[in-house]
Amino acid sequence: MRKIPRITALVLTAALLLALCGCGASDGKTHLKFQIWDTAQKPGMEAMCAAYTAQHPDVVIDVQVVSWSEYWTKLEAAAESNTMPDIFWMHTNQLLYYADFGMLADVTDLYDDVESGYYQNHFSEISLNNASGSDGRYYGVPKDKDNNVLVYNKEMFDQAGVAYPDDDWSWDDMVDASQKIYDATGNYGYLAYSDEQLGYWAYVYQNGGYILNADRTAAGYNEPGGKEAMEFYIGMQQEDWCPDQTFFTQNGAGATFWSEKGAMFMEGSWSLLGALQNNPHMDGKWDIAKLPKAPNPVDTPESLDKDGRACISNGLCYSAAAHGKKLDVALDVIKYFGTEEAQLIQGESGAAIPAYLGTEESWRVAWEQYDYKINLDCIFEQFDYAIQIPYNSASPRWKSQVMDVVTQIYAGNQEIDSGLDKMTEIVNTETAKKLAGN
Amino acid sequence: MKTRKLSAAARREENWGWIMVAPTIIGLFVLNIWPFIQTIYTSFCEHLGFGHYRFIGIQNYTDMFSNTEFWKATWNTVWFCVLTVPVGMILALFVAMLLNTKVKFKGGFRTIFFLPLVCAPAAVAMVWQWIFNGEYGILNQILGTNIQWITNPSTAVLAVAIVSVWSSVGYDAVLLLAGLQNIPKTLYEANSIDGAGKIRQFFTITVPMISPSLFSVLIMRLMASMKVYDLIYMMSDETNPAMADMQSLMYLFYRSSFVAGDRGYGSAIVIWTVSLILLVTLVQFWGQKKWVTYDI
Repeated sequence: MRKIPRITALVLTAALLLALCGCGASDGKTHLKFQIWDTAQKPGMEAMCAAYTAQHPDVVIDVQVVSWSEYWTKLEAAAESNTMPDIFWMHTNQLLYYADFGMLADVTDLYDDVESGYYQNHFSEISLNNASGSDGRYYGVPKDKDNNVLVYNKEMFDQAGVAYPDDDWSWDDMVDASQKIYDATGNYGYLAYSDEQLGYWAYVYQNGGYILNADRTAAGYNEPGGKEAMEFYIGMQQEDWCPDQTFFTQNGAGATFWSEKGAMFMEGSWSLLGALQNNPHMDGKWDIAKLPKAPNPVDTPESLDKDGRACISNGLCYSAAAHGKKLDVALDVIKYFGTEEAQLIQGESGAAIPAYLGTEESWRVAWEQYDYKINLDCIFEQFDYAIQIPYNSASPRWKSQVMDVVTQIYAGNQEIDSGLDKMTEIVNTETAKKLAGN
Repeated sequence: MKTRKLSAAARREENWGWIMVAPTIIGLFVLNIWPFIQTIYTSFCEHLGFGHYRFIGIQNYTDMFSNTEFWKATWNTVWFCVLTVPVGMILALFVAMLLNTKVKFKGGFRTIFFLPLVCAPAAVAMVWQWIFNGEYGILNQILGTNIQWITNPSTAVLAVAIVSVWSSVGYDAVLLLAGLQNIPKTLYEANSIDGAGKIRQFFTITVPMISPSLFSVLIMRLMASMKVYDLIYMMSDETNPAMADMQSLMYLFYRSSFVAGDRGYGSAIVIWTVSLILLVTLVQFWGQKKWVTYDI
C-alpha cells in the first residue's frame, strides 16, 4: 500500500463531499425554479407555466412553495450565495431592499418590442409603484392586487335586529352594531386585533392621517388624524364586545369569526376564496362589505383622502434574479406572466385578482363553481380609493420595531401617546439612516 | 530537540487515521469553527444587507448593554433555567427510580415516558398551545381557573417551562436509569444488613453512584435550557402582549437577525449567550469535584 500524505487525504475527502452536491438535470432542457409562498396559488401558477411551456417545449418550470414565515430568510440567504431561484414573487415591503442592492433584474425595457408605454397602459399606478426601485425603474412585472374588506355574520345581525353594513356605514355604526350584537347574542362584535395591513393602517388613512408622508421620509402616527384613529382602533379592545389582545394571540380573529363567536372582522381579499371553501357550514350566513368610513376625518394638507374612505391595497410582482445563469429565459417567462393571456389564467384559477387592467373581473370565474355567492362587487369598487401599502426602503428595519411598541401599548406597558411618538421616531430614524447610508 | 521517528507501517497507519477523521474535522471546521469566528467578527459590524458588513467597533455591545429588552431576555433565560433544570432533574430521577423497581408493564411505562422525545417539537408545542388556551384550553377547564397561561407576563415563562420539562423528562430518565442499573445490588444488601433505611440508602449509595450520570444530564439540560428558542417560537408570536416577558436570548437573537435584519446586533447577543454558557459550564466542571464520584 502506498503512503498517502495528510493533505491528499483531506483533498480527496473534500472532493468526495463536493461530488455529492454536483447533481444536475441533463435532458437538454432549460430548467427554471419559480419560488412562491402561497400553496393555494400553486395550481394557478402552474397553469400559467404550463401555458408558457406549451409554446416553449425546451423550458421546464418548477414551481416551489416556501412558506411565508421562512420565505425572506431563505431568499436573502440565497441572494448572498448567488443561488436565488430564477423567478420568484416579490413583496412591496422587500422590493426596495432587494432592488437597491442589485439583486433583481431590471425589467423596465422588457416590453419595448411589444408596445411603448406597455406598463403605463396596462397596469395601475399603485401596481407600478409596487414594482419600482428607488431609481424609478421597474424590478418586477406586476402580478396581482388586493385590498381588505369587512367580513360579517348575517345571522348575528339578524338576531340583533341590526341592518347589514352598507356603503354609508361609519365607525360609529360599526361600534353601535357591535354593542347591539353583543347584548343580543353574547357574541363578540367587531374583532379589532393587532395588525397593520388588516388593522390600523386603513383606519389611519380613513381618518385623514398617514403612516408615511408623500415622499415616504417621515411617519405620521402621532399626527392628529393618525393619533385619533390609533386611539379609536386600539381602544376598541377596551369594549365588552371586543376581545383583548391576549385573546387574539391565542385564538386569532379569523378562527373566532368562522367558529361563529364574533360578528365582524377585516380580511384581505386574497383569503376569501379559501374561506368559502373551508367553511361550508357558514354558507348563507356571511357576506362582505366595504370598510366602514371615518365619521369625522381630520382635514390637513397631507390628508390623502377627505371623505373618510380608504382601504389598503397591495400587489405582488414577478421578479427575476439579476445574476441568474438563465436570466434570458427567466425574463422571457416573466414577460409572458405580464401579458393579458397569463393574467387571465391567473385570475380564472382564483389565485388572485390580476394586476393587468381589464382582466380583474376574471377572478370572478373561480367563484362561479360555488353555489353560495358573496358581494364581490365591493372589492372591485374599493379600488377607486385604495391607498398603496405604506413602505419605504427602510421598512424591513422599522417594521418589527414598530410592531414591538404596538404590542407594548396593547399590553398596557406603554402609554398610547408616547408610544405613537416612539413609533414615529423609530421610522424617521431608520429612514434617515438608510437614506444617508446609500 | 527530539525528532519523531516512525516506522513505515506506523506512518501508514497514521495517515489512514487522518483519512478516517478527515470528514469530521472538515465538518467541524466548516460547520462550527469557521461560522463561530465569523460570528465574533460580525458582532462588531453593522449589517448593510446581503452579507455586506461595515465595521463599527463595540457599538453593538454598547447598544445591547443599554437595552432593557436585552436584560429582560437575559433574566427570562435565567428564570427559565431555574424553572426547568432542578425540577426537570428531580422529576427525571424520580421517574428513573420508579422504572427501576419491580412493577408490571415496566416496558410499557418506559415507552410512555420516552414518547415525548419521539414527537416533533413543533407538534408538541401546538398541542400544548391548545392545552394552555385561556378561553377553551383543557387545563383551565380541569383546574376551574381562568388563567391566560401564554399571554400573562407572570405565567408565560412557566408555561414554556412546563412543556420543556414534559418533553425532556423521559429522555433524562432513561439516561439516569442506565446509571441506576449499573449499581451492584450487593451494595444495597450490605447497607440494609448494616441497618440503613431507604432514605439513607438513597443519599449514601444511589446518588453517589449515579452522580456521573446526573452530572452529564445536568450539563446537557442546562445548555439546552439556555438556548431555548423553538418552544417560544412555536407557542407565541409577535403580537403576544407578554412577548417581552417570555422571550429568551435566542429568540431575541432570531428576531434581531432575521426579522429586523440586524445581524451585527444579533451576533452580539449570540456571543453574550455563548459567554454565559461557557461561564456556567466552567463553574459546573469546577463544582463537580465536590460532588461527582467517578470511582467507588
